[in-house]
Amino acid sequence: MLFKKVRNKNNHDQVSSSMTTKQIRYEALVKALHTDLYRFAFWLCHEKQVAEDLVQETFLRAWRALDSLKDEKAAKAWLITILRRENARRFERKRFEMSEYEEATIQDKQATSNEQIIENDWLREKIALLPEEYREPLVLQVIGGFSGEEIAELLSLNKNTVMTRLFRARNQLKEAVDQEPNVRGFSNG
Amino acid sequence: MDDLQFRRSLYADPTHIDADMQQVINSDAQKQKFANELNKLEQDITSALTVDVPEGLVDKLILRQTMVSHRQQKRKSRVQLALAASVAFAIGLTMNFFQFSSAYNSLSAHALAHIYHEEGRFQNIANSELTLASLNQKMSTFGGQFNHLIGEIIAADYCRFDGIKSLHLVFKGEHSPITVFVIPHDENLSVTHDFFDDKFQGKTIQYLQSNIVVITEKDEQIAKWQNKIHQNIQWTI
Repeated sequence: MLFKKVRNKNNHDQVSSSMTTKQIRYEALVKALHTDLYRFAFWLCHEKQVAEDLVQETFLRAWRALDSLKDEKAAKAWLITILRRENARRFERKRFEMSEYEEATIQDKQATSNEQIIENDWLREKIALLPEEYREPLVLQVIGGFSGEEIAELLSLNKNTVMTRLFRARNQLKEAVDQEPNVRGFSNG
Repeated sequence: MDDLQFRRSLYADPTHIDADMQQVINSDAQKQKFANELNKLEQDITSALTVDVPEGLVDKLILRQTMVSHRQQKRKSRVQLALAASVAFAIGLTMNFFQFSSAYNSLSAHALAHIYHEEGRFQNIANSELTLASLNQKMSTFGGQFNHLIGEIIAADYCRFDGIKSLHLVFKGEHSPITVFVIPHDENLSVTHDFFDDKFQGKTIQYLQSNIVVITEKDEQIAKWQNKIHQNIQWTI
């Protein structure tokens, strides 16, 4: 009886210590990557609440599969892959949805009239209007800090396609800026 | 590096300017201006893409996970308990089965096994000390008796027949001993009327009170023994 008690206790300690390790890993992952992940999600769905839900769902799945993540360096790409899958699922569930970016930008309009904020809003609209296939690599590059090769792998494209899309994304934004000389902060040259 | 290539690579990734590109930028004021513009654009893009993250998102993420894993943990321990209980139950059943089930499920198989177990123990020589009276004394336990001695007795003893107290009689045959078992009914043992193997043959005579199994070697006239028993036995109960 005593032996059993002792053994149970040890087992329990072991389990909870591995649980604690997992917990620590998870929290570190959340703290390090939730910002990038949220921003990526936002630019994927253009709606704050949906983006938040996506991030929650993603981290929950990540928690369940955390033991399969061996390489911490690959964590961000791993999470983004999960998030993209979650987002695709969302569309399977709700096939008909309004385009939501307008709502998001309306909310942002109510911010103070700080110059940078106005500029950001203006540019955000332009970014939201970019074709999805151009915007996604751009967000991955700027927010995620991924290289052309890494983006290619994440999106299952080849690198040249990715580079072309990045070129077009910025080119379209540049043209938009050049056509809008009144926007403050952009010098038309 | 031509102009198009320069623009393309700058557009594709404005933050990575390698030595070649730097050289082109330095050598051409026009290109320098373009590079500066793109640099400004890149800053604006970065600033625009950097949307505010909702406050307390970290806490929400950790809280949600803690709740889920707590639920999982509880469910897991319940499952483990149920599993342990099932295993214990199965072990109990198995033990029970082995302990109380018989090794042989038919009377004939059991009788043959008994014969083989005792093979060579009895010589085909009568033991004059055993009389009809002493035989019937033993038979009385089973509520039966013989009217006449059906043959010369070699041995008569109680034995265990799958845990059932039975009578084991050995008579002198023509060439080899004749074995007769008197076995009270037992529902666990099925009855085969005629049976044999390479060496022995056997017959079961069913009575209301008990079964009588006769086993002889194959060169003995088993039917004659069966008849003799049937004609001489009497059941009192």
